[in-house]
Amino acid sequence: MSQTEVVIDDKRFVAKEGSLLIDLLIKHNLKVPYFCYHEALGADGNCRMCMVEIEGQKRPQIACDTLIKEGMVVRTKGENIESVRRNILELELINHPVDCPICDQAGECKLQDFYMDYGLYDSHIDQADKVHHQKHIDLGSNVMLDQERCVLCARCTRFTADITKTHELGIIGRGDHARVSTMPGKKLDNPYAMNVVDLCPVGALTSKDFRFSQRVWFLTSTPSVCHGCAKGCNIFIDHNREKYKDETIYRFRPRENQAVNGYFICDEGRLSYKALQENRQVERDRNGAVCSEAEALKAYCKTLEGAKGEIIVLADPNLYREELVAIEAYAAHIGASLYAPLEHYRDEDFADDWLKSSQRAANAKAVEILEIKTTLPVEKAGLLISFNHPDAAQIKAEKVISFQTHIGKDAYDLTLPLAVFSESAGTLVNEEGIEQYCPRAIKRNEPIPTVIEWLTQIEGGDK
Amino acid sequence: MSFVFSKENLERIEALKSRYPSPKALLLPCLWMAQYQEGYISLDAIEVIGEVIDMPPMELYRVATFYTMFNLEPVGKYHIQLCKTLSCALRGKAQILAQLSNRLGIKPGESSQDGKYTLSQVECLGSCGTAPVMQINDRYYENLTPEKIDTILESLEEES
Ligand code: SF4
Ligand code: SF4
Ligand code: FES
Ligand code: FES
Repeated sequence: MSQTEVVIDDKRFVAKEGSLLIDLLIKHNLKVPYFCYHEALGADGNCRMCMVEIEGQKRPQIACDTLIKEGMVVRTKGENIESVRRNILELELINHPVDCPICDQAGECKLQDFYMDYGLYDSHIDQADKVHHQKHIDLGSNVMLDQERCVLCARCTRFTADITKTHELGIIGRGDHARVSTMPGKKLDNPYAMNVVDLCPVGALTSKDFRFSQRVWFLTSTPSVCHGCAKGCNIFIDHNREKYKDETIYRFRPRENQAVNGYFICDEGRLSYKALQENRQVERDRNGAVCSEAEALKAYCKTLEGAKGEIIVLADPNLYREELVAIEAYAAHIGASLYAPLEHYRDEDFADDWLKSSQRAANAKAVEILEIKTTLPVEKAGLLISFNHPDAAQIKAEKVISFQTHIGKDAYDLTLPLAVFSESAGTLVNEEGIEQYCPRAIKRNEPIPTVIEWLTQIEGGDK
Repeated sequence: MSFVFSKENLERIEALKSRYPSPKALLLPCLWMAQYQEGYISLDAIEVIGEVIDMPPMELYRVATFYTMFNLEPVGKYHIQLCKTLSCALRGKAQILAQLSNRLGIKPGESSQDGKYTLSQVECLGSCGTAPVMQINDRYYENLTPEKIDTILESLEEES
């Protein structure tokens, strides 16, 4: 397709002939409201919100179904088109319950945004005359449906029909009685189901896991990467520190990256934030007794000095590349052999042919590139130093020092707390070799050291 | 699954298939066949049709719920559909409804206890010139009066 020039609101733009007008508008941030169009789902043309004026056409046209033509002149603003939009919006809202005060979508709701941008009319319909449907239907897979809030954009049903091809959702009935539903007795049940919550432009689909926990405008979104498998899906970590409380993660949301995950993430990855704040190792533990940081460092050095025989260092293949590099240098410095065993992270049952990978270690590729040994060491060690490796207990060793993020069932000579990925920063290399940097999202009230912070302290004490 | 198409219906389906480029075109005919065969379209029937025409059940269910003429619940032997739209409403539909309700002892949307009658109200039956109108199974009854209702119901009683 050849490039061509079009005029939108008196400005010139270059676009591919035959491409969708709405894509051009979105790309250049030219504001036009829309519910049903979505880059991943394509045009459906059902909501009629994306109306624009096109020179030479009698009536306004929907931008999501208009192909770019040579010399096209488009208007997205002006009294005429704005009144058309206002009327369409009023029609969309005619049976809407307007329960924003108790709706979880408030603050990130397209209906609210468009009403403020284009609506601002007084309602012609009495609250008592509205058609009512069922509220809070548990669809399954952590998704709650409020049929009254739905604008029938069919994004959710197109997702289950065209993307997951599981066909659980559909719009049934017609007219005022049209509503989203599953088949009677059936549930929404697929490993990517919760994406419909993000797709839903309004509060009709909400996450059972997230709802009522936070108002979205209190949340800070930090870009990051899911550590659930080696795919490395891009996410936002949505977190907040409430008064008198510690910084808490409330949800993971997919972040668009066409090279990795498109617009979506799997449900397991989405819910993996919980594990970051449950059952955490926070104390330093020496032979079963809690000790101070100074005592712990002293014990560390003493154990290291007294080590007889080989020293083995284990590094978790989920650690950031910078952390792995630091561990590699440290292991060389103390004359230890370094391993990052991968066996534990093979999970064929988890994999599918879309996002989910059978390699569950997020940074397995970095381990490979750094040429760190990935087998489980079989020889007996005089001292084992494990950086959060789940197989630490399987190594035969006289003494064990374990840095760990979570409380485990095994007791070691010295157990030291370690920051999880959201409390640290660094680079992941996904299974396709794409490097992705994750900034630190969470700062705890009482910070837990990262690998690099520990090593700096240890090496400082060393000198 | 308890639903199976009768032999005749299977033959009709095969014959129809050759007429269209895709078996999906048989969606509406199959729903009709299931309804005529069983009196209503069960979820089992939807599953079976889905296999026959290679379509996910949800897509079928959407269509079946869109058209009010498809019954998704069992109906009585006589399904009485009384028009409630403008012409009929102006020409005395209310009295007709009262007469039907009284004689059968059921309200619109209900079935008689013996399972013989189901009473529904529907939108325009397209016979406004002879309003008020009702349809019992596939037959139209026009220019209705309360007296006519008595005669019609009596003849149905005799018939069965
Ligand atoms: S539930 Fe949400 S995504 Fe689905 S049709 Fe309604 S508004 Fe659209
Ligand atoms: S596919 Fe893997 S990286 Fe992507 S969200 Fe799921 S677990 Fe996380
Ligand atoms: S986005 Fe164009 S009609 Fe909905
Ligand atoms: S209004 Fe009753 S048949 Fe048309």
